[in-house]
Amino acid sequence: MAILGLGRKTVPARAGVDAPVPGTPPLRANRVTKSYLNGSVIALDDVSFDVHANQVTAMIGPSGCGKTTMLRLMAGLEYPSRGDVTMFGRPIPGPGPERGMVFQAYTSFPWLTTRANIEYGLKLQGLSRAERRARAEHFLELVHLEGFADAYPAELSGGMKQRVSIARTLAQNPALLLLDEPFGALDAQVTWEMEEMIVEIIERENKTVVVVTHDIQEAIYLADRIIFYTRQPGRIKADLPMAFKEGRRFQKKEEMLVHPGYVDMERQLYAMMREEIRGRVS
Amino acid sequence: MAPEHDGRAQPGGRDTPAGEPAPVFRPPRAPFLDVLGKLSQRRTVVLGVAGVIIFFAVWEVAHYATPAEKQRFLPSVEQVVTEIAYLFAEKNFIADVGTSLYRIYASFFAASLIAVPLGVFMGCFVKLRALISPTTGGWRYLPAASFAPLLLVWFGPTDFAKMALLFLGCFFFLVALILDNTLAVQRELIESGLTMGASRRQVVGITFRAAAPHILDSMRNMIAVAWTYLVIAEIIVATDGIGAVMMRAVRFLHVDIMMGGILVIGVLGVLTDISFRLASRALFPYLRVRR
Ligand SMILES: Nc1ncnc2c1ncn2[C@@H]1O[C@H](COP(=O)(O)OP(=O)(O)O)[C@@H](O)[C@H]1O
Ligand SMILES: [Mg+2]
Repeated sequence: MAILGLGRKTVPARAGVDAPVPGTPPLRANRVTKSYLNGSVIALDDVSFDVHANQVTAMIGPSGCGKTTMLRLMAGLEYPSRGDVTMFGRPIPGPGPERGMVFQAYTSFPWLTTRANIEYGLKLQGLSRAERRARAEHFLELVHLEGFADAYPAELSGGMKQRVSIARTLAQNPALLLLDEPFGALDAQVTWEMEEMIVEIIERENKTVVVVTHDIQEAIYLADRIIFYTRQPGRIKADLPMAFKEGRRFQKKEEMLVHPGYVDMERQLYAMMREEIRGRVS
Repeated sequence: MAPEHDGRAQPGGRDTPAGEPAPVFRPPRAPFLDVLGKLSQRRTVVLGVAGVIIFFAVWEVAHYATPAEKQRFLPSVEQVVTEIAYLFAEKNFIADVGTSLYRIYASFFAASLIAVPLGVFMGCFVKLRALISPTTGGWRYLPAASFAPLLLVWFGPTDFAKMALLFLGCFFFLVALILDNTLAVQRELIESGLTMGASRRQVVGITFRAAAPHILDSMRNMIAVAWTYLVIAEIIVATDGIGAVMMRAVRFLHVDIMMGGILVIGVLGVLTDISFRLASRALFPYLRVRR
């Protein structure tokens, strides 16, 4: 691991050229409202929360509640209509490599092989050829695509393409990981494999992660804390620490599934989801 | 009598005794118009050739069905082919073909050379799009052929006048098509580049790479239209080229020459199309699944 420089070569979290403000969280949504179509669609309505360092924050809620929108605001791909999103106290100036993003849609470049796709971001960072090779090799192995290093995306299944995107973002080694339903298109067995892989990497490299998912079980497994959104307009319905984990993460998913704390949490989240789908019970 | 089983799986399955090969599967007979049908490469070629043969057969039948005194207005296939051979052998037709090819390729690639970067930049940058798109879009509705008299007055019966007409005929459509190709690039592809730290320049590169196969397709379709303008240009100012040879044939009612010219253009068009397809295969090998 040391030869790869993993963990040391992290792209430093920074906001543009400005130095971080001491004592500020990696990401902060401050009274964020985001509306579309001249205000006729309100995706997010006055949302405030902090993303804590070295924590996994999961955002969950019914479809269309603004989860992707919040992630895109953090990535700097969009700007809030009101309020602001800051990174270490500085307004986010736009997208940057210190905030790696995995998209819901397949985003591997069709003209590059799996390996070249993984190396692409590293090339932009100015890594040497040898170092790029070594890192690509490592992440190819991690997502079980060693055998497809020289295949083009057209030759891969949907799940494999998504694994390329995941490997590409992880290889870039960003301080902040933004994941938008990264496993939504994978089949069940690959999904939990990938979930465990992510947990392992987060654990080892102390990453700060924001993950969007519609899967309750996945949210509980990955998260240290779950932010639950209400259906349109998106507001925070609940902010739930995964206290039952007592500060540790489960290496194997099945270890969590039998934990009484997990069962309670799952029941609670299902109840919330039902409430939102039916419309609020007043 | 069904064979006895002891409950264990047998090689060869339950109904075929072990050791015997499995029965051959015969798919149901497919109708000629088969939805989602599959066709081997060989049969694809066979059908394509059959189509060509049917076309020429219909032509031949039409010739012989025409009353004898009118047959010279619809010459037979062999008469036209003989005429083409005669033109090449005796009339230095190859020079006219060369001239026409030069005109079409030179003006088309000149148009592409400007239209491709312009279309891509317009696709990438909304302000360029807003500035340029209404003008280039509007030009498409001005019939290029109607510029022929104007170009003739401006530049005289020169090569330049003809090529300017070709350029006008292709350029604005090319810009519009390439703009569409660029706008069709999946948004997340570009955004993922941005989140990996791509500069603005690199993002334009990503967009171009993603649109490139479709851009080449647009060019392939557009060069077919360019042939129309070539013939118009050569017929209006009939100095040389395939169109001019056809125009001169009008005076002596040489229908076989006219049809020969059309046939030659058709063959050149098909060859152009094939070369574009081959170029696409060579340039974008990643689009095809290797075995
Ligand atoms: N570019 C856009 N233009 C208009 N409406 C949008 C746009 N993006 C998102 N929305 C709307 O904002 C709401 C939240 O969308 P999104 O964040 O994608 O939801 P989620 O990811 O939680 O399913 C939805 O109602 C969606 O239709
Ligand atoms: Mg979404």
